[in-house]
Amino acid sequence: MTDSPVTKGDDAREPRLVLGIDLGTTNSLAAIRAGSEARVLRNQQGEALIPSVVCYQPDGKTSVGSAAKALRLEHPDRTVSSIKRLIGKSFADAEPDVAKLPFAVVASERNLPRVAIGDDRHSPEEVSSLILREVRRTAELAVGRSLHEAVITVPAWFDDTERQATKDAAALAGLDCLRILNEPTAAALAYGIDGGKDGTVLVYDLGGGTFDVSVLRIQDGVFRVLSTAGDTHLGGDDFDALLAQRILATLPERARDSVNEDPYVLQAVNQAAESLKIRLSEAESAELELDLGDRGIAKVTVTRPEFEAAIAPLVQRTLDCVQRAIADAGVGLDAVGDIVLVGGSTRVPLVRSRLESFCGKPPHTHVDPDQAVALGAAIQADVLAGNDRSLLLLDVIPLSLGIETLGGAVQKLILRNSTIPTSVTEEFSTGVDGQTSVDLRIFQGERELAQNCRQLGNFQLAGIPPMPAGLPRIAVTFLVDADGVLRVTAREQRTEVQAGIQVSPSFGLTRDEVRRMMLESLEHAQDDFLAREAIEQRQKAEAMVRGTRQALELAELPPDQIYSVHKAVKALDRLLADNADAKALNAGCEELTKVTATIADDVISSAVTKALREEQENS
Amino acid sequence: MIHIPAPDPFAVFSLPRQLELDDTALERKYLELSRDCHPDHNRAADTDDCAAVLQRAAEINDAFAVLKDPWQRARALIEAESPGALDRNKKLDPMFLAEALELAEEVAFAKDEAIAPLRERLGAALAQDFAAVAAAIAADDYDGAARRVHGSHYHQKALADLEARA
Repeated sequence: MTDSPVTKGDDAREPRLVLGIDLGTTNSLAAIRAGSEARVLRNQQGEALIPSVVCYQPDGKTSVGSAAKALRLEHPDRTVSSIKRLIGKSFADAEPDVAKLPFAVVASERNLPRVAIGDDRHSPEEVSSLILREVRRTAELAVGRSLHEAVITVPAWFDDTERQATKDAAALAGLDCLRILNEPTAAALAYGIDGGKDGTVLVYDLGGGTFDVSVLRIQDGVFRVLSTAGDTHLGGDDFDALLAQRILATLPERARDSVNEDPYVLQAVNQAAESLKIRLSEAESAELELDLGDRGIAKVTVTRPEFEAAIAPLVQRTLDCVQRAIADAGVGLDAVGDIVLVGGSTRVPLVRSRLESFCGKPPHTHVDPDQAVALGAAIQADVLAGNDRSLLLLDVIPLSLGIETLGGAVQKLILRNSTIPTSVTEEFSTGVDGQTSVDLRIFQGERELAQNCRQLGNFQLAGIPPMPAGLPRIAVTFLVDADGVLRVTAREQRTEVQAGIQVSPSFGLTRDEVRRMMLESLEHAQDDFLAREAIEQRQKAEAMVRGTRQALELAELPPDQIYSVHKAVKALDRLLADNADAKALNAGCEELTKVTATIADDVISSAVTKALREEQENS
Repeated sequence: MIHIPAPDPFAVFSLPRQLELDDTALERKYLELSRDCHPDHNRAADTDDCAAVLQRAAEINDAFAVLKDPWQRARALIEAESPGALDRNKKLDPMFLAEALELAEEVAFAKDEAIAPLRERLGAALAQDFAAVAAAIAADDYDGAARRVHGSHYHQKALADLEARA
């Protein structure tokens, strides 16, 4: 996907406002920066945190946020939470999480997780888009203006497909996602603006479902990420799960098994576990009595040492990540000036004490761990809006990207912790005479074998002019953009033909699905859709005008054909200049397609003939 | 699959092709170029422009990654001055190779107390390699420089193995 264009003709009197959104596993919130001050946006009740929960009620109504959380015990099997754990994943990847969720998740035809509510199936992108829509609505009420652009944060450790899926969710919510921003980087930005010193900073971000650590260097307003490491399956929810096990263990064996089948009771146990954890952050021990009806009463006392012994292995896993990030950054622990804590789970005393003894200094505590990410996103949003040129973020790609070679090995193209944007170009050819397409399989991960890495998708280079085997020289550029998302472009170098690339993502939504879902969301947000449709139609028309003009220059066509193509291109170009609406542009595009369809093959083949002739003359 | 080399990093940074670079000045230049070219500050209205901005920003980031590392910098310099030199000179002097392999063997069987002295020796060997590369480049002997760059890989590999054991 290409970056969305900047909307032209913004009202000059009002500064462009871009939302910063922290789309969390358990809670989400928005912030905005107008002037130098960034602030979180609150609803009329004064709450900033919007629970990342969606309830599909039996009567067809959909509730989001606090309203949905309140319905959790009433409709546990219809209330969707922790959706961030599923976004951009395959069903197989998601399965360990699915087992712990009180609502049903099934595999789609393409083996992707779908939330099952009755007979309805919802993709994680759809669920996330409802949360984003609620965040947006809350923000619009707080600001008193309609908002359609946002910077959305994700764990630094999210891979390509998880990032792309988040962008798709934003599009479904009618938001133009100007940037996918890494959560620890956002937090560092909030820290740096809030009187943090220049130097090297370690951001330790332990949220509900994910863990990230990043090492950054801050210097004259430039925030440069040196390295990042993390675990998308490690967070406070896992602490809760350990306590839930403790609670269940007090029940008789028969009751225990039936509890696991019953979403109502499971939800109650999970909620009780969370409250135990929160109390154990303050007190030395906590007691709990949970009436589970005919299954008996769960009565538990947990002391802090017991709790800490249970979670110690998880905390150690975070420290292993810290060690790796420090090593990858090429600095010593002694070079780290400040340790910034982010995420609600950093309130757990053991997390703080272990981190302190590991790093040899106490963490910095001036930044609010719940708000830092959203505030940082708002600051970056302000930079992207063009309101602040004094700041610059330089982030990295968390996992290496590679291509499958013979024998199932992965050859790395881009190494982890490379500063983004970054790019590499490789040349490919064909193996068979007349071959017109080449398949490339792209993987993300650090392992040597493809089977141990995450496949991002199949990239098919199509439209290669038919030539003897080995003759085409297709230069393929792999570029990781500032969102950490891969873009692939290809060009056949002899003919200068821009090879088409067909991407079939292994995970997440296909482009067609995104289009279809946007159509379906019409009833919710017709305006959003029309606006976006107009933008996309415009982009398509612009691309067609450009592409056809290039082809005309390249091809040798009879004058009458040149004339008719020119006429159609000009007509479409005029529509663009007149700012015609999507319908008119679509008609113009179809007209041009009609004219070029009959000669498209000729254009290609004459371009190829020409190129081949030159090749022979040269040799 | 054939790798198409990135643009000459010295050219991207408008620097003369030289092995010795001032780290602080290099970093300052990098931040300056980034401020001018980063897509965050150059969100173009036209998607084509945007691709160009991204490509330019990628060039700057990738060039900096090469220039800040002395060994990568040496390779880029050799490749820019004498394209193909690194590919042409993979055959090493048998004497050098024998010594390097001997050192690697010592690493593989080193007892704990031998690790610290070995680390020192490998460090010294790498410093020697680098000095030899620098001298060859200064004498415009890019084939010689390329051979020594390849030779240094044995020392680097042995050092990495040693650190993995320690």
